[in-house]
Amino acid sequence: MDSSIAVELDSISKQYSTIDAVSNVSLSVREGEFFTFVGPSGCGKTTTLRLIGGFEACSEGTIRLFGSDVSGMPPEQRNVGIVFQSYALFPHMTVGENVAYGLKYTAGPDDRTDDERVTELLELVDLAGMQSREPASLSGGQKQRVAMARALAPGPDVLLLDEPMSALDAKLRERLRVQVQKIQDELGITTIYVTHDQEEALAISDRVAVMQDGVIEQIGSPRDIYDRPTTRFVAEFIGDNNVFEGAVTATWSEDGTHYADVDVGATTLTVAVGASAPAVGAQLLFCVRPERLAPGETNNRLTATVESTEFLGEATRVHLGWQGTELLARMANEPGDSVTVGFDPADAHVIPDSR
Amino acid sequence: MSRDGLTIADTDDAERQRRIRDRIKRRALALFGAATAVILVVMFYYPVWTVLSEAIFVDGAATVSVFVEILQDPFYFGEVARLFSGESPITVFGDLLSSDRQLGIVGFTAYQALLSTLLSVVLGVPAAYLLARFDFPGRRTLRSLTILPFVLPSIMVAVGFYATFGQTGTLNAMLGAVGLGPVDLLPSLEVVLVAHAFYNAPLVARLTTAAWESVDASAIETARSLGAGPFQAFRDIVAPQLVPAVVMSAALTFVFTFGTFPIVLALGGFELATIEVFVFRLIQDFSYAEAAALALIELAISLAILYLYLRYEARQSVENRGARPLARRRLRPPSLSLRELLPRAGLAVYTVIALLVFVLPIGSMIYESLSGPTGLTLEHYQFLLDRQVTGAAFQVKPWPAIRNSLVIGVGSLLVALPMGIVVAVLTTRRYRGRKLVDAVAMAPLAVSGIVVGLGLLRGLVFGVEIGGTRLALGGLAAIVAAHAVAGYPFVVRTVAPGLSSLDARIVESARSLGASRIRALWDIELPLVWPGVVAGAAFAFAISIGEFNATVVLASSTNQYTMPIAIERFMGRRLGPATAMGVVLLVVTSISFVLIDRLGGESRGL
Repeated sequence: MDSSIAVELDSISKQYSTIDAVSNVSLSVREGEFFTFVGPSGCGKTTTLRLIGGFEACSEGTIRLFGSDVSGMPPEQRNVGIVFQSYALFPHMTVGENVAYGLKYTAGPDDRTDDERVTELLELVDLAGMQSREPASLSGGQKQRVAMARALAPGPDVLLLDEPMSALDAKLRERLRVQVQKIQDELGITTIYVTHDQEEALAISDRVAVMQDGVIEQIGSPRDIYDRPTTRFVAEFIGDNNVFEGAVTATWSEDGTHYADVDVGATTLTVAVGASAPAVGAQLLFCVRPERLAPGETNNRLTATVESTEFLGEATRVHLGWQGTELLARMANEPGDSVTVGFDPADAHVIPDSR
Repeated sequence: MSRDGLTIADTDDAERQRRIRDRIKRRALALFGAATAVILVVMFYYPVWTVLSEAIFVDGAATVSVFVEILQDPFYFGEVARLFSGESPITVFGDLLSSDRQLGIVGFTAYQALLSTLLSVVLGVPAAYLLARFDFPGRRTLRSLTILPFVLPSIMVAVGFYATFGQTGTLNAMLGAVGLGPVDLLPSLEVVLVAHAFYNAPLVARLTTAAWESVDASAIETARSLGAGPFQAFRDIVAPQLVPAVVMSAALTFVFTFGTFPIVLALGGFELATIEVFVFRLIQDFSYAEAAALALIELAISLAILYLYLRYEARQSVENRGARPLARRRLRPPSLSLRELLPRAGLAVYTVIALLVFVLPIGSMIYESLSGPTGLTLEHYQFLLDRQVTGAAFQVKPWPAIRNSLVIGVGSLLVALPMGIVVAVLTTRRYRGRKLVDAVAMAPLAVSGIVVGLGLLRGLVFGVEIGGTRLALGGLAAIVAAHAVAGYPFVVRTVAPGLSSLDARIVESARSLGASRIRALWDIELPLVWPGVVAGAAFAFAISIGEFNATVVLASSTNQYTMPIAIERFMGRRLGPATAMGVVLLVVTSISFVLIDRLGGESRGL
């Protein structure tokens, strides 16, 4: 057993009557790692978190925390802290009493008194001196940070965060994101984070697991997930993307790189396929990020009509109508304009799994 | 060496003890659940089974013939009996609508229960309006006292109603004073219905008040801003939130009045007979099989109503945490506009009726306790005092009755609370059939009181023979347990709605912070549903204070009497001392309730 593995999921499944909420998930989270489950609602990410926390029991499989099997172990013995989306502060206790609650049952990580520990944690989450406030009098962001301090107070081995920011406004979310990252970095605590916000997942994590329908689609670093999606779902879920599919009509290699011509309907596009070439006639799935579609690019030119635009601040997302499908690009055009864009064959990413 | 050995043994021991403690803590909830089940089986299900099984096992063989006979007997089921005999539903239904229809005993019982329920709702809802929407001095005390009718032993209620509505009662005295003729109201169905409303309208009022207080003012403000007038806003926003509470209290009222016995016997005369009265007569005639079958049919109907109610309750649990309640208005109208005057005029009319129905019977009883042959007197209270000071050891004295009532009341409250809370926790978890479990747990509300009494006598006091030894049960502990069984369903009903509306994440947070399931219940859930716990405690206490049958049956020595029993004993001689004892009961329980209610703040449950 590798001692640096904090959480290990060994082919776990969870069924609710006939629905598979989680099916056959296996992965390991390293000690000190910031690990994120991301996916649309109902994908099983929260269920996975609840299985780790001990609030639900696995239908199959084993969960190990620091090497020991925790099947059947109730939540209070797992030494796992959790922060919920609804914060779940104890409304009949003050902020100080909320944070001190876990210290009643678990001695803190050091020999300081409970009061000192509470003070220290409230300082950590920038709420110094708020001990005697009532939860009802706090703003959403403050509640979230109290929940964070409360979860951290007993010095848990693992911190679970269940969409802790989705009830907050965008600006505050970004600020708290930085703060959560800072705290995690400072304490070096293994953190498992659940979110449906792919942008948040990429910004905050060491590694990301993308889930759909109870199944892990891909696990990797944020850059891996973004640049090299392994399934069509990941390609489309993480960031904007243009996915093409077609049959290979020709292959060749140049300077050690293989290229393929792919017939995607009325047009043939050329893409770099990496170290080995696919067979001619095989179906090929590949994607090109909107920022890679450039008007000045001479390869793979596509002529399309601007259907609508969204101003995002630093860029404008343009929806293009092309051969009955929609493409996304970043440029400054008006709806109705006819534009021609192209992309470098090396900017296309071939999706290995064409599910 | 030896010292080291000792230390190791010590740590081993400590470690083992810690592990045992851990295991107990983890299983604490299950242990409480098991204890609850044992109490229920011993004090309720087994005794009741000893009686009801008579209907199923005739001469040692299982049979349904007793049921079939009753179901097909027009004496019990009226026209509906022909339905069970195989006649066409259409002709039976037609005859049911005709004026000379036969309802039978069961039909009549349902009919009077329905009318009683309607009257209770009509008298209870305006009280809720007054208590929830207006502020006046003594409002909270009045709210606490609405539980009072619940604790009065039916024997006292009968006395109060005779003193009020009888030929020489206070009503006729008042009518005579203004020159109106004496009215002869007793015995009659109408007075029975009023007595049922006396008991149950306060229940309707309590439940509806709680629902009204949890209506969110901002929802009404939103409706008003969308163009609804005050009446439309009430109809569209407030009324739908009150309906569940009214339905729930109506269902409970129906079940209670469906099993009515002493009130009908005392105020209804010989012509009115409910199922329960007939069960009693059949038992007196030793027709156990027929009595048990009839009681089982009664139970089936009551349980069906309770089950429907629980299904309904489950669908109604609304999230109203953090709601801003409607501001109360003052009783003195701020202006003389019609809109301000009309509701207050309505309340004034209601107050007159409420005084007549609720206050006059109690007032008449107090008056009776103060009147002698020569006008006002304290002689009845003097009698109680003399009896206390000089009475012989075998005679019933007031102080032991008060002390026993309070001790048993507090004892049964302490047993009923954990029982009710455990059942509430177990029935608010999600699993298939939990509403059925809930309904079965509510059975003490629905089973014939006579059957329970007889069962306790035959099953516990006479005991069972196991392997040559006779196991019998009686005495104070058994009385406390029996009272707790009768009272705990109210704890369930006041605690469960609060528990099911709590955010499950709050409990999960506590668990992940190291609290065991039972600690989380104690630290987090119970403080948050505290008003419901206190309301349930008040009901459990009330049931115990007013309980009569089980106490008489289970008392194992002559000094185990409570206030209701003292009243009954005194009544054998003269009405005066009995009413004086009744007033003592009223005073003691009023003080208890105001105290209990003050502990809990405004309740949200029953």
